[in-house]
Amino acid sequence: MTVGSETQSPLAAAFRGWGAPAASALRVVLILVGILVVAQSFWMVQARPQDLITGVFGMADFLRRASPPDFSRLDAALWPTLETVDIAIFGTIVGVVLAVPLALMAAANVTPARWLYFLARGIIGFARAVPDLVWALLFVTAVGLGPFPGGLALAVHSIGMLGRLFAETIEQMDMAPVDALTLTGARRIQIFTHAIVPSLLPSFLGISLYRLDENIRSSLVLGFVGAGGIGFQLLTYMNLFDYRKVSLYLIITFVLVLGAERISAVLRQKLA
Amino acid sequence: MLRVRRLSLRYPNGKLALADLDLNVRAGELVTVLGSNGSGKTTLLRCLVRTLKPTAGEVWVSETELTRLEGEKLRRARLELAIISQHASLVKRRSVLANVATGSLGRHDSWRTNLGGFPDHEFQAAQRYLGEVGLADLGRQRAGTLSGGQAQRVSIARALAQRPRVLLADEPVASLDPEAAEEIMRLLRRLAVEGKLAVLCVLHQVELAYAYADRIVGIRDGRKIFDEAPAGLPRDSVRYLYIERAA
Repeated sequence: MTVGSETQSPLAAAFRGWGAPAASALRVVLILVGILVVAQSFWMVQARPQDLITGVFGMADFLRRASPPDFSRLDAALWPTLETVDIAIFGTIVGVVLAVPLALMAAANVTPARWLYFLARGIIGFARAVPDLVWALLFVTAVGLGPFPGGLALAVHSIGMLGRLFAETIEQMDMAPVDALTLTGARRIQIFTHAIVPSLLPSFLGISLYRLDENIRSSLVLGFVGAGGIGFQLLTYMNLFDYRKVSLYLIITFVLVLGAERISAVLRQKLA
Repeated sequence: MLRVRRLSLRYPNGKLALADLDLNVRAGELVTVLGSNGSGKTTLLRCLVRTLKPTAGEVWVSETELTRLEGEKLRRARLELAIISQHASLVKRRSVLANVATGSLGRHDSWRTNLGGFPDHEFQAAQRYLGEVGLADLGRQRAGTLSGGQAQRVSIARALAQRPRVLLADEPVASLDPEAAEEIMRLLRRLAVEGKLAVLCVLHQVELAYAYADRIVGIRDGRKIFDEAPAGLPRDSVRYLYIERAA
């Protein structure tokens, strides 16, 4: 062992000779680049702290005009609230149904063919890369205003998010039971239903519940582009300067998001 | 019950992994295979269950010769041969009982088994096999909650559910503590004697082989070096298996 370190030491010394200054020079450059990146971002967003200070009065004015929230129209708010939740449920269910077969093709260890793997990965990547709000804009143009384009947008975006997570889960699956069942003489379909499905189902359900929670949050803002639900009401009353109704919808939003998050978390914990 | 005749396997790179190996295991007999890493023990088992295709030789299980079968015929013939390995390989999310019952799948081809279910009588049978490995009370538990020794016994129960004539074991105690290892060996011994199974067990523990085997087979460089009852087998012969070849 000592022999090895002695034979290496001249080389190591040579590296130390110029390695240390090079490393510290690199560090200085990296720090400078970091400062530049931060500085240009502040310049680009035209950050003006003084506006924030004067803006406080505007915010106070808004809060004054928005309170008390107009609870007299709570009944009328129920329909768009239900619509928001249903858009999320629709988007999640359709997303899951389409993401499962795609994920089976996009998981390297079970994919039936190489070209299917790349095709599925491409579809999943594309569905994910385009934000759900942009999908909603596209579907509003295609099928008109209302909750349906919102549901479609969430479904397509969910395919992208779920497809990738499902595929990763499949790739990390413990293959030992599959091999063991193969050797007992079980048929392929039996191996699938008896070894693969039970191993994956709890993870898939957990991922889907998490997606539902995210989709409820997304569907709140989809209304801004005309895709139904609370967002559409929020935008409408904002434009009408009816701030007491706006604050009502903000409270509903708050309750909905926190509620969905809690329920999804509790259910996922039960699954684990 | 299990007869191996002049079994050879030559890898595509020319390395000879098994050379003219002969081996017999009768019903009711426990035979252990000893050998150092890379000697060909595991390769032998993999040739028997045909996850590797031997290049020459014959493997007879009762009256069927396995090496030349393919597809559905091979699958049916292989039902007679059950194998357990170092890891229990259970489906952790399912109940212990369901895991045992999966051993019976090869005999069934119905919509029910295809959809993840079992015929009712297979559950009763599975419960019986669980009793046989001493875990009758754990049927409802999730397989993931078992200890290593328990899991290995469940995997043996699953092998029994296959109703094999030959039970192969590939280092079944390698990842268990000494006490659990002894229990597994006692169980394999009992299954051989009482269940009239032919048990072929690859081991690393020389002491366990001496204690439980009817015969010990030594393999080195893919060749059978000895095949003796423990009483007539000098320790030096076993030691030779593990001596590095002179450089």
